[in-house]
Amino acid sequence: MPSRTYVSVSDRIQRAVRSVAGKLLLWTSLIVFAVFSVVPMLWLILAPSKTQTELIDLDPLAFGSFAGYVNSWNNLMVFQDGRIITWVFNSIWYTTIIVIIACGSALLAGYALAATRLPFRKPLLIVTLVAMIVPPVAFVLPLFVQISSLGLYNSPWAIILTGSFYPFGVFLAYIYFSTTIPHELYDAARIDGAGEWGTFFRIAMPLSTGLLGMLGFFAFTANWVNFFLPYVMVNTGELLTLPVGLGILFSSTPALNPGVGANSSPIRGPEIALAGLMVAIPILLVFLASARLIVRGVLSGSVKS
Amino acid sequence: MFTPYAVLLVLFAIVPIGLAFSTSLKPSLANPEGGFANYLFVINDFRFWPAVINISTFLAIYLPSMVIVVASLSLLLDAIKSRWSVPLRLAYLVPASITGAVAILVWYFMLEPKFSPFKGILLELGLTSGSQIFAQTKLVWVFALMAFFTGAGNWIVIQYGSLQSISEDILEAAKIDGANVFQTALQIKLPLIRKYLIYMTILTFAAGLQIFVEPYLLSSSVYPNIARDWSLNQLSYSLAFSGANLGAATALSLMLLLVCVIAALLVIFRTDFFDEARMKED
Repeated sequence: MPSRTYVSVSDRIQRAVRSVAGKLLLWTSLIVFAVFSVVPMLWLILAPSKTQTELIDLDPLAFGSFAGYVNSWNNLMVFQDGRIITWVFNSIWYTTIIVIIACGSALLAGYALAATRLPFRKPLLIVTLVAMIVPPVAFVLPLFVQISSLGLYNSPWAIILTGSFYPFGVFLAYIYFSTTIPHELYDAARIDGAGEWGTFFRIAMPLSTGLLGMLGFFAFTANWVNFFLPYVMVNTGELLTLPVGLGILFSSTPALNPGVGANSSPIRGPEIALAGLMVAIPILLVFLASARLIVRGVLSGSVKS
Repeated sequence: MFTPYAVLLVLFAIVPIGLAFSTSLKPSLANPEGGFANYLFVINDFRFWPAVINISTFLAIYLPSMVIVVASLSLLLDAIKSRWSVPLRLAYLVPASITGAVAILVWYFMLEPKFSPFKGILLELGLTSGSQIFAQTKLVWVFALMAFFTGAGNWIVIQYGSLQSISEDILEAAKIDGANVFQTALQIKLPLIRKYLIYMTILTFAAGLQIFVEPYLLSSSVYPNIARDWSLNQLSYSLAFSGANLGAATALSLMLLLVCVIAALLVIFRTDFFDEARMKED
């Protein structure tokens, strides 16, 4: 029956074409989105290697020279006698202390919620969940009022203490200690006569390196780039953080603001890009290194590990 | 053991809200009586409703595009079952590092045809200068674009992760019943990740409502006053620091906080997202 063979062949061709077209569409969407994701960062990495004229004349994704980076850095250092160094230094030490206090307090509180008899456990957990879902920006003005009344305004501690409140970390630790470590382990330690602290240090802590990585990751990324909170909490140039300093640089460069006198500032496109890169690169690196932590952390409330 | 966190919780969340509430009732030059009139003062401020409209338009663009793109790309990523999914996922995470001040910097150059790697697309769209895009009527699209790229990749990777927890048995059964790749994606996988998408939507809504850095920086240094008091948080900031009206500023800030708290309570009690966490308590 030649006609039947004919139909089935055309049918098969049609199906094959449809499947190839589908695959093509699928891969195109995935790859186009990847290109749009990577190109802006690629541009930012390459921009400081060029001079201001090369930034316009060369291809946007062309590489200038390694000397370009050095040159951009030297120009950046001219701004207020190397103020950028202070900002980098501030960002590093504020963030380090925040990460330590935030992770330490979250680890302990999560353990207390999961493994000890804590009064008002349920309401405390609900308050923590609410505080974790409400974006930190919503607290900035109330925190400003509080910090002023404590007399901490314009002190590094205004940024450090407010940044150390870490309800999301408490939640992560709580979920970890109540699902990953079997309750029998805590009970066994207690029967052996270990107190709460003993159980925590001998049983819980050694088993929680994975958790610590996750806590550190989210605490670091949130605080390293934070703008509004440090912006409101301090007002002297030498106390600012790198992201806030970047905002200051914006208003003193003709690169982003033609209103600024064109020849007065050594800060142009490549220099501002270099400053931006210093904010973005640490985040980019920890993100790429901890891709798995992100998924586990955000979904830890509902996905069993 | 709970004490260090409890101290932070009380000092830097609960007391500030209480203090902000009492500040919000204080009299000011604009409102010598004080009291709840401060809340009315904010609502009657000529900048309040335009900011509400800005934020609503922003959310109306930003939220649906997040849901559609995140849902479809994570389903596509899950459908390819290829070793290329690893580099793709890493690529999607890259824009998460371009946020806040850096986002303003990068998108300024991306949207300026003179500098942009996307020059071809911009010219195709009829845009020959950045000032055509950074114009008051189009700003909402610019902010939505920035917010979208900062968050979307992250969430694609997260939703992809939640797709991995769907049991093989269900997918196998669908295959035996004759479902093709698209049917499986839309009729089996999508309903199963629905709750994660709802969770994402509420979190992005709360964060979007609070937008501050991007319009603030753009309008304070790049294009002076282009987006002055564009968002509600900017208005609150202006009232506090240039209007010397801390009462009205905290009133506005508390109203925004209240909306976010309601959103949070919705997630906790009206979705099943935290069921597992809550059940342990019962």
